Amino acid sequence: MTPPGTESQTRKIILTGLWRDNPIFKQVLGICSTLAVTNLVLNTIVMCVALVFTVALSSASVSLLRSITPRNIRMMVETLIIAFYVIIVDILLKAYWPEMSANLGPYVGLIITNCIVMGRCEAFGNSNPPARAFLDGAFSSLGYSFILLIIATFREVLGMGTFAGLAVPFFSGPAWDKWIIMVMPPGAFFMLAIVIWVFRSIQIRLEAKTK
Amino acid sequence: MREKRWFPILYMFLVTAFFSSIIIGFASVTRGRVEANEELAFERAVLEVVPGVSGANLSNAEVHPRFAEMVEEPTASSGGAYLVKRDGHIVAYALPFSGQGFWAPIGGILGIEADRKTVTGIAFYEQNETPGLGAEIVKPPFRNQFEGKVLATQGKPLGMKRPGAELDDSTVHAITGATQTSTRLDGIINTALTEWQSKVGKEGTRS
Amino acid sequence: MNLGAEIWQAVTVCVAAVFTQNILLAYFLGLCPFIGVSREVKTAFGLGLAVIFVMTATTLLNWLAYRYVLQPLGLEFFRFILFIVIIAAFVQFVEMAIERFSPFLYQQLGVFLPLITVNCAILGASLFMVIRDYSFIVTIGYGLGSGIGWFLAIMAMAGIRQRLANERIPAGLQGPGITLIIAGLMALAFIGFTGVLQGR
Repeated sequence: MTPPGTESQTRKIILTGLWRDNPIFKQVLGICSTLAVTNLVLNTIVMCVALVFTVALSSASVSLLRSITPRNIRMMVETLIIAFYVIIVDILLKAYWPEMSANLGPYVGLIITNCIVMGRCEAFGNSNPPARAFLDGAFSSLGYSFILLIIATFREVLGMGTFAGLAVPFFSGPAWDKWIIMVMPPGAFFMLAIVIWVFRSIQIRLEAKTK
Repeated sequence: MREKRWFPILYMFLVTAFFSSIIIGFASVTRGRVEANEELAFERAVLEVVPGVSGANLSNAEVHPRFAEMVEEPTASSGGAYLVKRDGHIVAYALPFSGQGFWAPIGGILGIEADRKTVTGIAFYEQNETPGLGAEIVKPPFRNQFEGKVLATQGKPLGMKRPGAELDDSTVHAITGATQTSTRLDGIINTALTEWQSKVGKEGTRS
Repeated sequence: MNLGAEIWQAVTVCVAAVFTQNILLAYFLGLCPFIGVSREVKTAFGLGLAVIFVMTATTLLNWLAYRYVLQPLGLEFFRFILFIVIIAAFVQFVEMAIERFSPFLYQQLGVFLPLITVNCAILGASLFMVIRDYSFIVTIGYGLGSGIGWFLAIMAMAGIRQRLANERIPAGLQGPGITLIIAGLMALAFIGFTGVLQGR
């Protein structure tokens, strides 16, 4: 039976990733590379899976090597590991799902510069055992993903009347005049701003209550 | 050993070599698949512009045999277009075109009848434009416009007009809200067509 | 393509990269420093200039690396790693050079340089350059244009935010929230440039 100490540690990691230090509305990190694909829910799901895969495994790998990696080349090694996982994802997509690979374009490669990946590796992977680093990476990117999915849902439903390619009643019918702006870049900016506003406001209110 | 000056360099080298070899191995294993995917997309696009063959409905396994059966490589006299033949007679020309779209390269096939001026259709094997806007070029409403159009002998072989404008035999409507993609596509198609027309002549005899 | 046509294409690509295909407002690249460092015009100016310089130089270096190292060896998928290494090395080198030769310049720009290494716009520009298969001359136009476009966006943002500094903004929107709304409005405005380059 696991001692209670480790159990609440895991819970802490999960909560931190998903809510307390959510990469998007709390830290506002790493949005550039994924905002572009939020116009379609399916593309966002694939991108987020790629991200969770990359962050979790990179953090775990960095953790595995942390005792033998010299300090001064630490960041280069982290970048190399992150690039490794990203390239694997890129190759997998090109070979087994070429339309999706074309849809995501260079944005898969840009996961490498996504501040979240490097951030988790530096902040957690370097100083924690692999299993915990994996969890932390996974839940941080899940926290990020769930926000992106919210944005993508609004963008696709309001802008195209579909959700993951399937027609949504009312929104795909003639009564709804599709909001083209949601399909274009400004829509992404506005949607992200609104989502940040909502979650931040909730967070601020909750923090004020517990003070 | 960590403190030795050469250790970081050696470490970096080993780590790079280790990860790189995995990637290289991975890439070579999947290389065949990647190329096969691209070939399949291209062949399917060619079949989609052939009248009578509903290329879009063929299963992946059927595409290549059909292609091999009906389509021939371009010759000097076809000006770079693939030749679609039935019983030894040319039924249509499949002219590939490619160029830069708004987000990524656009590649497609324009089908032209044996008379070298009537368009049978247009299909895309590669595009990555904005879904809902530029990407609508692959959908039937846009593509169907091309069927039956006639290549103009003066000026642009095929023109794109803004939605709502009056059309003639050689013009189609652009996509609302997708000015960039439409303009680029217009340029790509017409560059390919003009070059092709200069090589094979504008109105030809049946061969 | 002859030289004249290439130069013309470079010019059009440059203008497009600044206005209609702005790497930040249309392609979402380089948002983190954009949101973080756009509070004052002075800092935005320094960062923007540094970005122009680094973006132009690295797209060219990466073009050379892609064409003369990766392609002949069939190692195109390594471009992610090689490009980042080149960008990091270049920035490091520039930082050392500036520190040695112009302490004044180092004071103004030096602090921004490490920030630029992780700016996804820099890597993104090189990746787009590969996807679009630009020639060397066109890449000059593209790198320069993307840099200027980013500079323009961050300068405009800083100017607007400085004006808003004394306004009452709802708590949830302060900081990134309002910045993104402004960015959205700017993106909307830039779409209006679309008709400028006819037939391009």
